[in-house]
Amino acid sequence: MNNLCADIGCSSLNKFGEELCGDHVEVVEHGENSMVIVLADGLGSGVKASILSTLTSKIISTMMAAGMSIEECVETIAQTLPVCSVRGVAYSTFTIIHIVNGTEAELIQYDNPKVILLRGGENIDYPTETIDIAGKKILKSKIRIKEDDIFIALSDGAPHAGIGVTLNLGWKRENIIDFVKTFVHIGFTAKTLTTMLLDECNSLYGGRPGDDTTVCTVKIRKREPMNLVIGPPSDPSECGRMMSLFFSKEGKHIVCGGTTSTIASEYLHKPLRTKLEYFDNDIPPTAECEGIDLVTEGVITINKVLTYSQDYLKDNESYKVWGYKKDGASLIARLLFEEATDINFFVGMAVNPAHQNPNLPINFSIKMRLVDQLAECLKKMGKKIKVSYF
Amino acid sequence: MKLTVCIGSSCHLKGSRQIVEQLQALIEENRLGDKVELIGTFCLGACQSGVSVKIDETIHSLSPDGVRSFFEKEVLAKL
Repeated sequence: MNNLCADIGCSSLNKFGEELCGDHVEVVEHGENSMVIVLADGLGSGVKASILSTLTSKIISTMMAAGMSIEECVETIAQTLPVCSVRGVAYSTFTIIHIVNGTEAELIQYDNPKVILLRGGENIDYPTETIDIAGKKILKSKIRIKEDDIFIALSDGAPHAGIGVTLNLGWKRENIIDFVKTFVHIGFTAKTLTTMLLDECNSLYGGRPGDDTTVCTVKIRKREPMNLVIGPPSDPSECGRMMSLFFSKEGKHIVCGGTTSTIASEYLHKPLRTKLEYFDNDIPPTAECEGIDLVTEGVITINKVLTYSQDYLKDNESYKVWGYKKDGASLIARLLFEEATDINFFVGMAVNPAHQNPNLPINFSIKMRLVDQLAECLKKMGKKIKVSYF
Repeated sequence: MKLTVCIGSSCHLKGSRQIVEQLQALIEENRLGDKVELIGTFCLGACQSGVSVKIDETIHSLSPDGVRSFFEKEVLAKL
């Protein structure tokens, strides 16, 4: 047992003109530090491929997480998948990355491009063993994981990118490795690495992907706890208890909200210095207080963070904004999306009478919903979330 | 003289930023940088009547279009 965990970022490009993706990624956590990640690429494209890959990845991830062997998984798939009437076969290629106890990665690969492993920015040529299950040649490897290891699983749409359009022979595995190596040391999240790779595939395809293309990046990292408090407690006499619970937690501390930050600064007996710099016209400035890593305004800032998080789960287009800006919302986004793995939310339920004005776009129920939605998005990013109400 | 502008949620939505920018410009224009200190705060406890601006210990309620006259009456006149 150690404190390593996996940051996972997956995304797909659909074959040009297709509404459904024929690749599917499924992630199942089991136990404290173990998870199964399956990338399946179904035969053909469109609905048929989508059904094949969804079934394959669901079956494998569920069975593996329950502790069953790869042989049993493959047999089950062979017997379950519907047979394609055109080609007479039931077929879906797959890649399994099984993180065990935060110490080991088991790779099981069937006919997908070989998983790329980068360690310390360099490509690692890891050993594989070939096993035969029901006539299928399957590659197996076991790798002891280290912090900052990066595994990249691909569907064949990635190495095929650009064939006949911009490249004669497609984007070969070594070209992909060279491409990633140029920026891997910067420390982007798995999701951002995935987005950058897919953007490149898309441009090689000239914006019209010839095949479904999926990238799933798994980055091994240390657990990083983070704490965020928003809103004063409904019972003012609870302030001290709420603050002492909040500040006793390990990791960074973010305080959101005017009244909340005043309570925090009184609790710490440190002055609160509000800045007057507007880095974003819509977001109120931040403040500084010794003992707190970040102090921001409440609802307006969090609302913006929520917008960024929803976008992060889609195409991550707004990374260009929150990735570098210095306004409160961008700062929170970087801390929560990039740095944190485990986030504790402390939500105060006091009603601010000034916010109940019907002319203002903020009120109590909106605030509660904001936090719920943000927590939901962060969970989808693979973070462990705990919300406590006061 | 200390001018404290509230930039909390309610005041922000009512135009704190425009007020801060106008005040910064007015202080510059009148070369009062060494006499008037402009600072921000998250809440002055007068959210309903914002935007709240505090001069020494008195809280005033401002809107973005009344900044110049406020500055002349409450700041320039009293220096």
